[in-house]
Amino acid sequence: MNKISDENVDVNALKLKKGDLVKEVEDLCGENLFGCYQCGTCSAGCPFVEDMDLSPDEVIRYVILDKKEVLNSKTIWLCAACYTCAERCPRDINITKIMEALRQIILRKNIDRTNLTDIPMEEKGSIPQLAFVCLFRKNVG
Amino acid sequence: MRKEYGYGKYDNVITALQFERLLSSFGPTEGKVSRPSDGKKPKSIGWIQCVGSRSEQLGFPYCSRVCCMYATKEASIAKEANPDIDITIYYMDIRAYGKDFQQYYDHAKDLGVKYIRGRPSSVYENPDESITIKYKDTLTGKIEESTVDMLVLSTAIMPNKDNKRLGEALGVDVDENGFFKQDSLLTDPIQSTRDGIFLAGCIQGPKDIPDSVSMASGAAAKAVAPIKDREKHIGKEFPPERDVTNEKPKIGVFVCHCGKNVANYLDVEKVTEDAKKLPNVEYADHMMFVCSEDSCKKIKEMIQEKGLNRIIVAACSPRTHGGLFQDTLMEAGLNKYLFEMANIRNHCSWVHSDDWNAATDKAIKLVSASVAKARHLESLTEEEFSIYPSTLIIGGGVSGMKAALALAKMGIKSIIIEKESKLGGRLRHLHSMFPSDMKSEEIIDPLIKEITKNKLITVMLDSELEDLEGYIGNYKGKIKQKEMKKEIEFGTIIVATGFREIDLKGKYQYGKNKNIVSQTELETKLKNNDLKKPKNVVFINCAGAMDEERPYCCRVGCGVSIKNAKLLSQKFPKAKTYLLYRDMRVFGKEEEEYYSDVLKNYHVITIRYPGDKKPEVVLDKNNPKDGPVTIKVYDDLLKEEMTIPADLVALTVNTEGGAETEKLKNMLKVPVDAAGFFIETHAKIKPLDFSTSGIYMCGAAHYPKNLVDSIAQAEGAASRASIPISQEKMKGEGIVSEVNEDLCRGCGTCESACAYSAIEMKPHPRDPTRLVAEVNRALCKGCGSCAAACLNSAIEQKGYKSKQINVMITALIEQGAAK
Repeated sequence: MNKISDENVDVNALKLKKGDLVKEVEDLCGENLFGCYQCGTCSAGCPFVEDMDLSPDEVIRYVILDKKEVLNSKTIWLCAACYTCAERCPRDINITKIMEALRQIILRKNIDRTNLTDIPMEEKGSIPQLAFVCLFRKNVG
Repeated sequence: MRKEYGYGKYDNVITALQFERLLSSFGPTEGKVSRPSDGKKPKSIGWIQCVGSRSEQLGFPYCSRVCCMYATKEASIAKEANPDIDITIYYMDIRAYGKDFQQYYDHAKDLGVKYIRGRPSSVYENPDESITIKYKDTLTGKIEESTVDMLVLSTAIMPNKDNKRLGEALGVDVDENGFFKQDSLLTDPIQSTRDGIFLAGCIQGPKDIPDSVSMASGAAAKAVAPIKDREKHIGKEFPPERDVTNEKPKIGVFVCHCGKNVANYLDVEKVTEDAKKLPNVEYADHMMFVCSEDSCKKIKEMIQEKGLNRIIVAACSPRTHGGLFQDTLMEAGLNKYLFEMANIRNHCSWVHSDDWNAATDKAIKLVSASVAKARHLESLTEEEFSIYPSTLIIGGGVSGMKAALALAKMGIKSIIIEKESKLGGRLRHLHSMFPSDMKSEEIIDPLIKEITKNKLITVMLDSELEDLEGYIGNYKGKIKQKEMKKEIEFGTIIVATGFREIDLKGKYQYGKNKNIVSQTELETKLKNNDLKKPKNVVFINCAGAMDEERPYCCRVGCGVSIKNAKLLSQKFPKAKTYLLYRDMRVFGKEEEEYYSDVLKNYHVITIRYPGDKKPEVVLDKNNPKDGPVTIKVYDDLLKEEMTIPADLVALTVNTEGGAETEKLKNMLKVPVDAAGFFIETHAKIKPLDFSTSGIYMCGAAHYPKNLVDSIAQAEGAASRASIPISQEKMKGEGIVSEVNEDLCRGCGTCESACAYSAIEMKPHPRDPTRLVAEVNRALCKGCGSCAAACLNSAIEQKGYKSKQINVMITALIEQGAAK
C-alpha cells in the first residue's frame, strides 16, 4: 500500500545510500528517532493531520525503515512547525525538527526548484498566494 | 500531571486511584460508579494508560508496572456490574506479564472492554461535561475523536516524596527517581546500600502484590539473620480452653456483608433475622466485614457476654478466612473446632448475582444447615510433633542457591539436590542477565563459592529425589545420586526447579535450519563465541506464546530479546537487527530505561505484529538447512506486509515448567497448572507456599521471572521454610479420621484409599490376632476418603461425622420444604 500519491522528487537523485536516510535526518535535527514508541500522540494532536498523506508518527516509522518515499510525502510541507507534537511527545522527541530535517534534505540538494518563469500566465492568476510562498520556500530553504 | 488531559480542570477526569474509591463499598458512592460532576451513572468511560510513566518528557522514565492490570481490573469490575457502560482503554503496550495476567486481559476483552492502541494527544470538555478524547488508533491508522462521560487516568506510581529525607536519615542511597537503591540489582535486590537495612515492596520500585509479598518475606529472612541468640518462636499464647462438653449449645451467628460483595446481592438482614429464629441460636448479627479487627472483637465480647459456645460465620471461604476466626475463638477461650462457616459469598452472592431472592433463600438454607451441624460440634485436640531442623532444596540454580544461603544466614541447615553435575542451573547456559550487562558467571560463581564454603549447606549433585514420605517437620526422602541411593531427613522443602523452553514442534521452521535458534541457544553461542558474523538478525518474540494452545505470556522474553539484540549489535555493529514483538513487556526496575536505551543507541528496528498474523519463516529452496531465510511479517503499525532477509533468527520461545515437574507433583502431592508451573496457595496472600504445609516454592518453578524477582522470591521462600524450623514443636490438624476398632474388620480398603499414607493396618490393641486400621494423626489431612471408603462405617471424620452431615442435609431439606 502506498499512501504517497505524487512523486515530485526523484528520490534516487538524492543519492542517499541504503540506510543513510535516518543518519542524515538525525545529523540534521539532532533527534533520536529510534526512541519513538509509535504511540500516535503527535499525530492525534497535529492541527493539519487531516490533510496529510502520512501522519507524523508514520513519517518517523518510514525514516526508521529507510523508506525514502517519505521525501515525497505532503506531510513534511504541510507541517506548520507549531511544535504541538514536540510539546506532547512522551519520549521527548522534537518531531517538528524531524520535519524540518526532511525538508532540508530536499532543499539542500536543489532538486525541487520552481522557476517562476516556467509557470504559465493563467496558472499564475489562479494559484493562491500562499502556494507561491510555499514554492519559494523550497527555493530558499 | 500532564495538563492536556484536563485533570483538575474538568470534573469528570479522575485518576485510577479515585476510580478505585468509586468501586469500593466504603468509598464515597458506596461502590456505585458515578460521574463526579452530577452523580449520574456514566454511559461510557475511558482509561488513558502511562500518564507520566514511560515518559522522558513531563514524567518518569520507568514503567509503573501495575497500571495495565489495575486498569483492566477496574474496567472488568465496572463492566461486569454495568454491562451497558461502554469501556475503552487507551494504551501503548499492554503489560500483562505475570502468571495468569494474559488470560485475565483476554477475559476483559471477552467481557467487552475495548482496547485501543494509541496515546491520546489531548482532551476537551463538552457543554454536558462529557470529555472528548483526541487520539490516533495506531492499529487502524485513523485519527479519531471519542466522547466519554468520564475519563480515568492511569497515573505513574511515584516514590514517596519523603524518601530522600528517609534515605538520608537511614544512610542509604536513593536513585534518581526517588526509589531506594539496592546494593546490586541482579545479585542482592533486597539489600539496601547499607548493612542491616533491607528493602521490601515499592520502596525499591513499582511492584504488584505477589512480588511485594515475596520480597517482604525475603526481607524478613534477611532481617532475622543478623540477630544472634534469638529465642525460639513459641507461638501465640491463648487463654485456657473452656470445657463446653456439658453445656447446652449456645450458637452465635455472624453474617458478613463483605462490603458489597454479599450485601448487594442478597438480603443479609433477612438471613440474620431468620437465623435468630433457629433453635439454640443465642445471638445473630450482621456486619460490614466480619473479618475486620472490630468485628472479631465483637465476636469475642459476645462469647463472653452471652456465653456462646458455638460460632458460625456466614461469609466467604474457610480456606482463606477460617483460620482468622478460629484464632478469635481461641482468644475467647473456645476450642477452635467449635466453629463453622457458611460460604454465602461464593455459593450465593457470586453464583446467583442476578437473583436476589434465590440468593437470599440459599443463604438462609446454608446458615440453617450450619446451625444444625453446630449443635453437634465437639472440641477437638491437635497432635503435637517435633520438627527436623533442616530444609531440602530441590534445584541448584540461582533461586535454590539463594534460598540455601538465606537459610544458612538464619542458622538453618539445608541440602541442595541438583540433577546436573554442577550448580548454577539455567544461568550456566546463559551469557548475561537483563536488565544489565552482568555476565551470568559473575552472578553464579561467587554464589557457588559461598555455598561450597558454608558448613550448613550440603550439596548433592547428579541427584534426584526418588521417593518422599512423611509430613511437615518430619520428611524422609530417598535420593538417587548416580548409582547410589541415600536416605535423608528434613523438616521443610523448597521447590526451585525452574523452567524450560517449550517444544515448538517445527513451528517457525525451528530445528530445520541451523540459523534459526532459540534465545537460550543464542546465549550459549554468544557465551562460547560461536557465532558467524550475521548481516540481518531477526528476533521473533512470543514464539508459541499467547495463542490458543498456550494462552500465557512468558514474562521474561521481551527483556531477554532486547538484551540479546544489544549484545549482537555490539558484537556485530554492521548487522541490522529487527525485533518482532506483540506488546513490549519490560516492566521491572531499570527495564524500561534499558529498552529505550537499546533502541536509541543500537538502532534496533521494532516491528509490532498482530496475534492473528504470526510471522512466517521461509527457508531457501536451494539451501534449506544452512542457507539464509526470509521472514514475512505483517507490520501492525504501517499495516503492510514486510519481507526481511535474515541470516540469523532468534526465537523467543515460550516456557513451561521443568522436566521433573510431573514426577515431583505426584511425590509432593502438590498442584501444577496447565503450563507445568506449580500453583501457590493464594496468588496474592501466599505466593510462596503450597497448600500442603511445609513445602514452598521460588523462582521460575512458580512462573518464569527475571533474576531480581527470583532472588526476592528465593529469600522469601527461605523465610517461609524457616518458620516451622524455628519452632521446636508444631501442632497438626484437629480434623482427622478416627477408627472405631470394634467395628473395623481389617479389610484394608481405607489404607489403599488414603492418598497421604496416613493409615496402616496394625494388630487390635486388645485382640492382637486381628488387624485393625490405625491413623497417623500427624499425616492425616482430614480429607475423609477413608471414611467414605469404609464398608463398615468404622471410620468417622472428626468435625464431619456422619451425624453432623446428616443433620445438615435434614436442615437443608426441611428449609426447602418449609418454603
